Amino acid sequence: MSTSALQVAISVMPALMAGLVETLKISAAGIVVGSALGLLLGVIRGQQFRYASPAIGFYLHVLRGTPFLVQLYIAYFVLPSTGISWLKWDSTTAALVALSIYTSSYVTEIVSGGIRAVPAGQWEGAMACAMNRWQSLRYVILPQALKLILPSLAGVYVNLIKATSIVSVVGITELTRQGEISILRFPADVLLIYGIVAAIYFSYCFPALKAVEWLERRAARGS
Amino acid sequence: MLTNNAASSGPAIVVEGVTKTFAPIGGGARCRALDHVSLTVAASEVVVIIGPSGSGKSTLLRTINALEKVDEGRIVVAGIEATSPKANLQTLRMGVGMVFQHFNLFLHKTALENVMLPQIIVRKKSRAEAMEISKAFLDKVGVLDRGDHYPGQLSGGQQQRVAIARALAMQPQVMLFDEATSALDPEMVGGILDLMAEMAADGMTMVAVTHEMRFARSAADRVVFMDGGTIIEQGAPEDIFDRATNERTRKFLSQIH
Ligand SMILES: Nc1ncnc2c1ncn2[C@@H]1O[C@H](COP(=O)(O)OP(=O)(O)OP(=O)(O)O)[C@@H](O)[C@H]1O
Ligand SMILES: [Mg+2]
Repeated sequence: MSTSALQVAISVMPALMAGLVETLKISAAGIVVGSALGLLLGVIRGQQFRYASPAIGFYLHVLRGTPFLVQLYIAYFVLPSTGISWLKWDSTTAALVALSIYTSSYVTEIVSGGIRAVPAGQWEGAMACAMNRWQSLRYVILPQALKLILPSLAGVYVNLIKATSIVSVVGITELTRQGEISILRFPADVLLIYGIVAAIYFSYCFPALKAVEWLERRAARGS
Repeated sequence: MLTNNAASSGPAIVVEGVTKTFAPIGGGARCRALDHVSLTVAASEVVVIIGPSGSGKSTLLRTINALEKVDEGRIVVAGIEATSPKANLQTLRMGVGMVFQHFNLFLHKTALENVMLPQIIVRKKSRAEAMEISKAFLDKVGVLDRGDHYPGQLSGGQQQRVAIARALAMQPQVMLFDEATSALDPEMVGGILDLMAEMAADGMTMVAVTHEMRFARSAADRVVFMDGGTIIEQGAPEDIFDRATNERTRKFLSQIH
């Protein structure tokens, strides 16, 4: 690396780090809220209730059949224009709502698939031992389902982290946005700056993938 | 003693005019798995149910602990009305142990944890107390040394022993067995049947679906023959096996002997 490239890298680093912190915050919030919502909906959908499960299925199809960018625009531009006061979100809220719902649509499908993949005999064993539906789910079905779905969840989380780059379009100065701002300062170093931005994303996603691999191995030792 | 059977007055199980239908896969008339079945089991009685595949044996057992809802009819188990919409199914099932053909052990739990879990969750026992009880029952069924093994690390016979320990540890008044030995290697079958015979001798009220006719002959107080969702004939083992009066019973027995 030439001296000038190193200087550019050093001078953009504080901005990129500030962007990374923002990316960390919104992705963590998206993972937590999206997973909680997805777990709740997935548990309901996985048990095939007469009305709730098809209703959730419709929700999923709508979300997964539309691009995330469009969902984000709806959260940021369309909902506030409805005039309903609690829908007047600032850009951070709109981004978090959009990311959480987007994540929940994938988590829901994965969780419900995991629940259905647990053999029916496990439900019967639990019920015959006098556990109620909730206890069976909590102590017998979900632990087995979660073990099955960890790899798929990791994929969703990594996708979410990458999708946070899109929320720069509603004015959130996360990592990608900070990269763009830095390029305005050093237009000649586009390649270098995007290279650094990509490397930072990678260094965030890669340990996440590794962590889940480790969890998988640890869970697999069980049986 | 292997079991702890509360000697209550009156029959342990009353099944009255029970009908159960299933929606067929792909439309058409509903499949009638049980057609106005009535059966009374006295406390400490051992009833063995035999019959061809699809005759409704499993369905009948599963209605007794309300794993299956009935369309019509009434079932009372140990004084609890299983078919009442207000029935507390947990209380009912605490009194009814069930052993399945495929064991249905919790796959993510060790043998010991399998027995402990319902003790802790349902019986609200402390961990220490649950462990003590569970070890005692694993010991009784002869698999205490396998307590740390997961189901996948146990033979079929050992898994079924754990499943029996799990059911017995709940101190049920009634035990249901749905082909408990059908999925086992032949050399494992005898041990499980001996365990069942021991429970029967201890005074446990039992309803067992089985194809083991020698067990039925030696352990049963009564043999019930089912076909097409109804009870065709019932009586003492020697009456059914040696002098069945119904043509369908005789035909079935001649095919399996
Ligand atoms: N969940 C279900 N859905 C639809 N039909 C069912 C269901 N369970 C049982 N049946 C039908 O009900 C009838 C009785 O089944 P059941 O399992 O009680 O028979 P069984 O006597 O236990 O037979 P087997 O000896 O093969 O176990 C069969 O025709 C079966 O196809
Ligand atoms: Mg059956």
